[in-house]
Amino acid sequence: MNPFREDLVSRSRPEPCSIVIFGATGDLTHRKLIPALYNLAVDGELPTGVKIIGFARRHKTNEEFRSGLEELNRKLSRSGHDEKVWGSFIESVTYHASEFSDVEGYRSLARKLDEIDADRGGKGNRLFYIASAPEFFDEILVNLKQAGLNEAKLGCWARVIVEKPFGTDLATAKHLNQVVNETFQECDTYRIDHYLGKETAQNLMVLRFANSIFEPLWNSKYISHIQITCSENLGMEGGRGGYYEKSGALRDMVQNHLLQLLSLVAMEPPTDLTADGVRDEKVKVLRSLRQWDTSQKVAQNVVRAQYTAGHVDGIQVPGYREEDRVSPTSDTEAYVAVRLLIDTWRWSGVPFYIRMGKRLPKKSTEISVHFKDAPCVLFNAIAGGVPGGNVLVIRIQPDEGISLRMVSKIPGTSLRLEPVKMDFHYATSFGKSSPEAYERLLLDAIAGDATLFARRDEVEEAWKFIDHIEYAWHQSTTPPPMAEFVAGSWGPKEADELLHQDGNQWRRL
Amino acid sequence: MSNLIDNIPAVCPELGIEVPVSEIERELRKLWEQDEVHTNASLMNLVVYSEKPGALIANSEIIRELTAEHACRAILVGIDRNDPKPSLRAWITAHCHLADGRKSVCCEQIAFHLTGRVTGRFRNTVFAHMNSDLPLVFWWQGELSEILTERLVSVMDRLVIDSSSWTDPSASFEMLEESSQSNPDLIIQDHAWTRSWQFRVGIASLFDDPAAQEALPEISNIEITFHPAHRNTALQVLAWLAVQAGWKNRKSTDPVAFESSSGLAISVAMHVDPFAPPLSSLIIRAGNVIVKVRQKIGSAHVERQVETPAFKATSLSPIDPTSSADLVAIQLSRGGRNSLYQKILPRFREML
Repeated sequence: MNPFREDLVSRSRPEPCSIVIFGATGDLTHRKLIPALYNLAVDGELPTGVKIIGFARRHKTNEEFRSGLEELNRKLSRSGHDEKVWGSFIESVTYHASEFSDVEGYRSLARKLDEIDADRGGKGNRLFYIASAPEFFDEILVNLKQAGLNEAKLGCWARVIVEKPFGTDLATAKHLNQVVNETFQECDTYRIDHYLGKETAQNLMVLRFANSIFEPLWNSKYISHIQITCSENLGMEGGRGGYYEKSGALRDMVQNHLLQLLSLVAMEPPTDLTADGVRDEKVKVLRSLRQWDTSQKVAQNVVRAQYTAGHVDGIQVPGYREEDRVSPTSDTEAYVAVRLLIDTWRWSGVPFYIRMGKRLPKKSTEISVHFKDAPCVLFNAIAGGVPGGNVLVIRIQPDEGISLRMVSKIPGTSLRLEPVKMDFHYATSFGKSSPEAYERLLLDAIAGDATLFARRDEVEEAWKFIDHIEYAWHQSTTPPPMAEFVAGSWGPKEADELLHQDGNQWRRL
Repeated sequence: MSNLIDNIPAVCPELGIEVPVSEIERELRKLWEQDEVHTNASLMNLVVYSEKPGALIANSEIIRELTAEHACRAILVGIDRNDPKPSLRAWITAHCHLADGRKSVCCEQIAFHLTGRVTGRFRNTVFAHMNSDLPLVFWWQGELSEILTERLVSVMDRLVIDSSSWTDPSASFEMLEESSQSNPDLIIQDHAWTRSWQFRVGIASLFDDPAAQEALPEISNIEITFHPAHRNTALQVLAWLAVQAGWKNRKSTDPVAFESSSGLAISVAMHVDPFAPPLSSLIIRAGNVIVKVRQKIGSAHVERQVETPAFKATSLSPIDPTSSADLVAIQLSRGGRNSLYQKILPRFREML
């Protein structure tokens, strides 16, 4: 135990370790992981003596690898590029060339790690970050085990971070989880979902459970419905069409990010703030989702759509099927809207609506909690009536913050009501920028705090729900139709109708 | 001395426009009504108190910097107690900054100058102009005086001081203890303590290393180098090490001599360097492990190093700020109860 750590910072302790990144020549490593680790070093948060080893197939020298990292760090680092810090940081970065399938490459990696550990009296913690393309996940994990790298030395730890996608359906997710768990224990497995590293996502629990005014109202008695929206104005630029064709909006965003947000919004208060305390409650939400397990139920509760040519930000854009690397006969959804019901005491009868789409008018992710109208016996008769109910909006990105809409009297001699908004912006109130999600998540993994990572059962429960929809769309004999919307609009009319049936409408962002 | 403030014109670029005290709130409202593109933001009442001549204008500059990250209603107070004639003047202004390069976010500032016997008037003036429901952060600059009464302290949420600026820290801490008796929730933030943050984090992180951690019970020697004006910072760091590691005071006349729980004597060498930063070096020897945290003159980084016979690992961290504005900014960012400071305070006071 280190007594000097006590009371110093209110977070788990990041320990010195070696970090091995698989897929080290890829975009994620260059654009996110290395800038995140560098920024932790700038802030003095990265433990002294951390070693970073890039593992990839291409042959490169340490210098070539480092120079590629430096080039992008200069452009992308949140805190700029300080030569002195970079110089000290990059010394700890080395490159290890090997095929993912070559077990000998892992054995030589093990020897390299042992040499690093030998300096420390044989002790050394290890963090393996699998940032490669998903098709290599299996063999990387199997070979890690073959080389004995999954076993931590006495008094040390060996952890693995797995990037999304965690499978492409329930079967592949189960398979991946099985392979992961045959290699590492579940408590040493960190499935990263960068949405959970965002400041507002973390603030969700604080908002709900540290403020006494919200939780008493957070149930079916007072809440009419909840909407979770993730809109993107981008389409398939930069060759994204190839990847998107295989995933679609439902699997790319809803299965992971949006269902994670839903869990945080809908969960019961955890008994404590330990990783499992929180995740136990989150998974209960996913388990309680009513399953849309027939084509008919999917047709009634889910809308899928593709965009047609239109204008976004004043620029003409092609339709989905005309995008680069997208099939002209594609049946992949670029938009999805889902009505969900959570069969619990708290949420009985409260619909949750999730929508995600490409080529919508703007980029935004938010959760809006729509409260039931007050009994308007007093104000029903006045001109204009009561204009809408209370809405609590939690903005995840880009302008992180919280707002509350309520009704107020317009000043004057007559009684007229208008909605007004109380608005809290992180940027306005706190001024300083939040760390990138990857910084927080990497530090948590080094410190052994899995609260913001998805657990095996969460991933599988989410897939279970998604699989029924995918089945109805792609394998049933009566697949629900694919709707269309003009790029730059807020989605298809069918999605509007989904809410109209319940007497609700999408919030205008 | 009073002439100095009398020279401030009714419209002063740093302090804004002079307004009658009774009209402050109305004038502030007018200020906001002039321009609708501004957002008025406030997370706290920040009172900055100084008895130093000319401090009002200097503090207004500090508030301009601070409000870029810490939205607040700033209340600046300049007091001249040597002037027997009682007077009270007030100025209002707003400090605006672009948030995310888009929105202009502004914070209000009210500046007061008081002369004569001011204790009661000062307190009432401050209380009357605070934003309701927001916490009160009180930044007391310089020596404590009898104006720091129990009644004043009772409404504070956070009191910012710099014990390094006190000529008699022992007496001042006693005074602070007395005046804060009725406010057990008061959070005290001492610049002297904040100045050692990177050194403390550095030491803590170096002892995360397995080799250093194993050698922890063998700590036998500490060497600390500090600027002569920052002896309190050095003593606080030593108090922190002693309290956290559970060291007793050695039976000697030297209050800075320790003994580990297993009875091992721990020698402490304190070096003064008038050209160095507040803290420039902290070296701990434990068995065959040496842990060093150092800041060279003019360097933008603190160097952390752990050295064993088998290896040497070095990393860098940012330096602790030296300006008052930056120290306050950091203290406001960290928030929290500052319980560690409260924990080491008795041991530190023994060393004074």
